[in-house]
Amino acid sequence: MTAHSRLLTVDLSSGHIGEMPLDPSLLRDFVGGASLAARLLYPYLVPGLNAFDPAAPLLFLTGPLTGTSGPAVGRYVVCGLSPATGLWAESNCGGFVGPEIRYAGFDGVLFTGRAASPAYLWLRNGQAELRDASHLWGKADTYQTQTRLKAELSEPLARVACIGAAGERRIPYALILGDHGRVAGRTGMGAVMGAKNLKAFAVRGSAQPPIANPEVFKPARSRANVELRQDNMTHVFRETGSAGGAEYFNVIGAMPVRYFSRSGFEAVSSVSGAGMAETILSGVSTCHACVVACGRKVTIPGGPYQRPEGKGPEYETIVGFGPNLEVDDLGAITHLGQLCDSLGVDTISMSNIIGLAFMMFDRGLISAADTGGLELRWGDARAAEALIRMAVSGEGFGRWLALGARGLARQFGAEEMAVQVNGLEVAYHDPRGVTGMALVYATSPRGACHNQSDYFLVEIGGTVPEIGVEMLDRAGSSGKGQGVTRHQWWRTLNNSLVLCIFANVPYGTALELTNAATGFDYTADDFLRCGQRGWSLKRAINNRLGLTAANDTLPGALLTPLPDGATAGVVPDLPALLADYYAAQGWDAASGKPTRATLLSLGLADVAADLWETET
Amino acid sequence: MPIPFPSDAWAKAFQDVLNSDADYARVAVHWEGDIVFLFEPEGAQTESKALYLDLWHGKCREARALADPAEKKAAFVLAAPYSVFNRIVQGKLDAMQAMMTRQLKVTGSMVVMMKNVSTVLRFVKCTTLVDTEFTPAIRG
Repeated sequence: MTAHSRLLTVDLSSGHIGEMPLDPSLLRDFVGGASLAARLLYPYLVPGLNAFDPAAPLLFLTGPLTGTSGPAVGRYVVCGLSPATGLWAESNCGGFVGPEIRYAGFDGVLFTGRAASPAYLWLRNGQAELRDASHLWGKADTYQTQTRLKAELSEPLARVACIGAAGERRIPYALILGDHGRVAGRTGMGAVMGAKNLKAFAVRGSAQPPIANPEVFKPARSRANVELRQDNMTHVFRETGSAGGAEYFNVIGAMPVRYFSRSGFEAVSSVSGAGMAETILSGVSTCHACVVACGRKVTIPGGPYQRPEGKGPEYETIVGFGPNLEVDDLGAITHLGQLCDSLGVDTISMSNIIGLAFMMFDRGLISAADTGGLELRWGDARAAEALIRMAVSGEGFGRWLALGARGLARQFGAEEMAVQVNGLEVAYHDPRGVTGMALVYATSPRGACHNQSDYFLVEIGGTVPEIGVEMLDRAGSSGKGQGVTRHQWWRTLNNSLVLCIFANVPYGTALELTNAATGFDYTADDFLRCGQRGWSLKRAINNRLGLTAANDTLPGALLTPLPDGATAGVVPDLPALLADYYAAQGWDAASGKPTRATLLSLGLADVAADLWETET
Repeated sequence: MPIPFPSDAWAKAFQDVLNSDADYARVAVHWEGDIVFLFEPEGAQTESKALYLDLWHGKCREARALADPAEKKAAFVLAAPYSVFNRIVQGKLDAMQAMMTRQLKVTGSMVVMMKNVSTVLRFVKCTTLVDTEFTPAIRG
């Protein structure tokens, strides 16, 4: 049995605060985190629901390892309905907020309703109250909000997750930020907080997360941490951060340049993790219980982007504001990333949208008359900064930027130019260089996401032999439907535990730790089945919300071969990949739904009935 | 004629390959750092062996087997059982995969390694260009 096995429930409309016990059978079948969230939110996520409706749920949830002394288990997930996609939303976040939720005596917090005026939740050792946040709304960015709340509560060690101006204004790619720079960035969960008039969630506790078999867990986690400390990838992440792979991805053509229209960035080492280590890196930071320490601290001693030590950018932010815009100044990239964090917008979506705007300007689809006089030229970081401010303010051209890439492109009759899937902007792993990512982007339940399966790492050797995920031809399609499927199930488990995917924890180790923490005694097959169950359930939620096989596609830019570079002439064979994939998942290729048989085999009879009730 | 791997003769043959490879010379022009291949005991191979390579600006200045694996303190040490090295040199195992799956232990500056990934990739490719004889019992 895991944890406290209960949620705190907060109805922001009435102000009622209660508790919801968690059924042990659900914990066993769905493990925790995002998969359990999908099961708990299934009744709420019905057709016609708008993400900004008071009835829309917003669930902060941990997993059975969160807050323990296991390796890299400091994460939590935020789930609901995405305002960007209208589909399933999940975004997980590191730092210390997740563990603190469990220290406070709960496994998660379910928000519904809408507060009459700006509010924040203060949860301390099992006691919760809603407090007024009017003094912060429109007046404090994400960093100031954390500092001011801790001071106001006289709790310097409280953990705070909050939104910035973007969340308050319901920008569909607004993020939730905590621990001075850790973010739940994707799918617009910050905007949902904003729609609920929920500025922040502060938490502090002192309880220890329960462990079913501590005598087994303790030596297992010690062994796991020792192995992780010695792991090559740990050394790469610690020394160079998540952008340590930039040069490699550049060499193989997997790092997009100039809004996915080129590959090969000449100045890659000026902006990479290695380049950062040799220039502005001044320290590292960690999440709870992490020996990896991929977080960057940077100091910029002079020049136009001078700043004292603060958070440094990770891979996605670097590529998004760097090669994607042809900016080769790491100081500028740091500045743009920090601006997004403080205003509360996701850097992947924001940089993708700006790349689209630059491309539209370059191709004459928009002009300075549209942008309020602003010239958009590749490499111009100041123009990018201006667009960020416009997007969050929603003024002038910003009202189109605030729609996201799909909305912006649609506004100017250029929808095919937007590099997005189902409303979520594509992250920076070009499927022409790592073709398995074509499937990952096309089938992710939250739009073009690289974290539901970081299959790009499998494509360069990060195999998972215990579950049959092997390295295949990077440019080919054969066998990848099966490989991506099983990798998605594995990463669904990661997002359930909630275990950081940057920590190279082997499958068997995760299984051993989970069994010791929960007492569920999963077999290796049972465990993967939990991943499959969560994955198919998220798919079913989306099917019920209207998603079909026609949504499993990629934007034209990613299906257009580049004329030169490492991937010249290569495009993923998406139809072949999908055919293989549907078979591997047990999904119906015509409708894109998990088959009735698949759902029944996973113990999802109610879902099967909902999805197939009108079918013969 | 195939050269036994690992051996002093193989190290010198590999040196010849590196020094005649135009692609390696080009991509490794900024590389400064020596490397030890450390072969860990495995099966009938009960003793460690080590090969030493001194790499400098696109050339291999010295290559030899070490009588004592601890004889040289190199900038980088690549350590693995014989069979893992065999599979890499045969082109059957991707070196990055070996590294990411803990089959090959890499010691040294990851900043240098990641920044010079083109050098690393070509270096590994060159190992496969040596006419190599593998020990049957540990062919990999």
